[in-house]
Amino acid sequence: MEPIIRLENVSFSYKINEKTKVSVLKNISFSIFPGEYVAIIGHNGSGKSTLSKHLNGILTPDSGDVWVHGHNTKDVNKKRSIRQAVGTVFQHPDNQIVATIVEEDVAFGLENIGVPREEMKKRVDEALNVVKMSPFRHRPPHHLSGGQKQRVAIAGVLAMKPDCIVFDEATSMLDSFGRKEVLQVMRKMNNMGMTIITVTHHMSEAAEADRIIVIEGGQIVMDGPPREIFKHKLELENLQLEVPSVSQMAEVIHSQFNTFSKDIIQENEFIEEVEKFHKEEVGT
Amino acid sequence: MSSEFEISRSITIGQYVPTGSFIHRLDPRIKLLVFVILVVAIAFNTSYFGNAIGLVLSLYLFWASKIPISYGLSGVKPAIPFIVILAVLQLLFQGQLFSDGRVYVDYGFVLITSESIRLVVVSAVRFIEIIFLSSVLTLSTSTTELTHSIQSLLSPLKKIKFPVHEISLITTIAIRFVPTFAIEMEKMMKAQASRGADFGTGGWWRIVQRTKEMFPIIIPLFNIALSRAEDLILAMESRCYTPGGERSSYSVYKAIAKDYLVLLVGLFFSLLLLFYPFPF
Repeated sequence: MEPIIRLENVSFSYKINEKTKVSVLKNISFSIFPGEYVAIIGHNGSGKSTLSKHLNGILTPDSGDVWVHGHNTKDVNKKRSIRQAVGTVFQHPDNQIVATIVEEDVAFGLENIGVPREEMKKRVDEALNVVKMSPFRHRPPHHLSGGQKQRVAIAGVLAMKPDCIVFDEATSMLDSFGRKEVLQVMRKMNNMGMTIITVTHHMSEAAEADRIIVIEGGQIVMDGPPREIFKHKLELENLQLEVPSVSQMAEVIHSQFNTFSKDIIQENEFIEEVEKFHKEEVGT
Repeated sequence: MSSEFEISRSITIGQYVPTGSFIHRLDPRIKLLVFVILVVAIAFNTSYFGNAIGLVLSLYLFWASKIPISYGLSGVKPAIPFIVILAVLQLLFQGQLFSDGRVYVDYGFVLITSESIRLVVVSAVRFIEIIFLSSVLTLSTSTTELTHSIQSLLSPLKKIKFPVHEISLITTIAIRFVPTFAIEMEKMMKAQASRGADFGTGGWWRIVQRTKEMFPIIIPLFNIALSRAEDLILAMESRCYTPGGERSSYSVYKAIAKDYLVLLVGLFFSLLLLFYPFPF
């Protein structure tokens, strides 16, 4: 299968002044395939945000290449089609809404790529429907909650019909309710076939993904399905990362009761396990 | 006490009052155009009678748009000092320029004639009319509609490479961020006040002190504005924004018969005010 995004030996450094450079990404290579749900995790300063900015050509590597659908992100002429293919939802809900009315903000990207008006209306309707923001379409954005604003931002990206959406810590400014709303939308879009890349330091969010890439010091240190990754509790702790709190709890219970599975990474799994365990205990 | 920091509530820009009236449903471009020609006509009319017509017309517009007249009056209130000062200055110093008509007072440099009194009264009334008209316009038209209509009215200027779209985008973004920054400022004032900063305790005449009090707010606000702007640029670029690029437009307005009718009525009044020789 042809990957959507392919990184080949990507290195990148920020210039502080003429002499000093801070190397942020070191020789990173990986591919993202259609339909994947990938979480990129790492502690603050690990380079994960810089990495996410490489995925649609906002930053271009010092050495190595990023290919989106076979187009190199360094190719200025392909910039538009690359950004159309890979949309980004950013961290701060307020700083990515351009218009004074929700539906016009959703249309902003479509206006930029010159979509005809009739088509635009249809796409705005669809996108607002997916994120369940249709009732708010005529509202000014500053009357919305953080989670709602973030859903508007998602709709704005979704309307452009990208092949892949990058969430650059898109839930970190939200309360737990807003985060849940956004995570539901992400899951829903992935089920609809959208490729999702989420950059996060919330492990419960990473557990939702099908694949986790762990970044440390600008390099990939682990890459695999969440269940595999979260087995390496000690290594993760050395990288200042934790396993999801449900996994921690499951492990504590497992140390007391052997029958309680410790292979748990998601909330609903935990609840199921507790119910099963309860039944068995009461049954005997 | 709470009102002291509640800036975001008292912002009046884009104070849209949705009553769904006939005026609200007009094509915003036509509304803006009629507004402009009416203001020009009023600005040039110097007769009592003509301005009485203007005043009645602007009051009628309040009634027609179902907006309480108190909104218009609250717009006039802050302008009263200016109107009064202007009137006094005109009364005392403009007499020499408008020395026609009957002379009432001629004392030193002060010359008050029937013409200079006319000037004073007419400019005060004119001021109020224009405030009323612009209130009706902004209260019955959302900011989005306004920026769109400015853009479409200016669009012929594209031919001479005037950046019409860019200007309208800048205006939209500025309006979009007014409430955001008001909330930000509120937060900062509360944070500073909780650490003992003083806001607005000195009398209003101590302008220097009151200004100095604002520095700890304004400087971080600038800082925040810049970092927000940087984020916004990233977000816009990620959504394929290319300055000067060819774009399509989401909202399109279509003027129908009643809009043209309103335009005609507006034109009629403007021409009447501009050219009809009113008896007084």
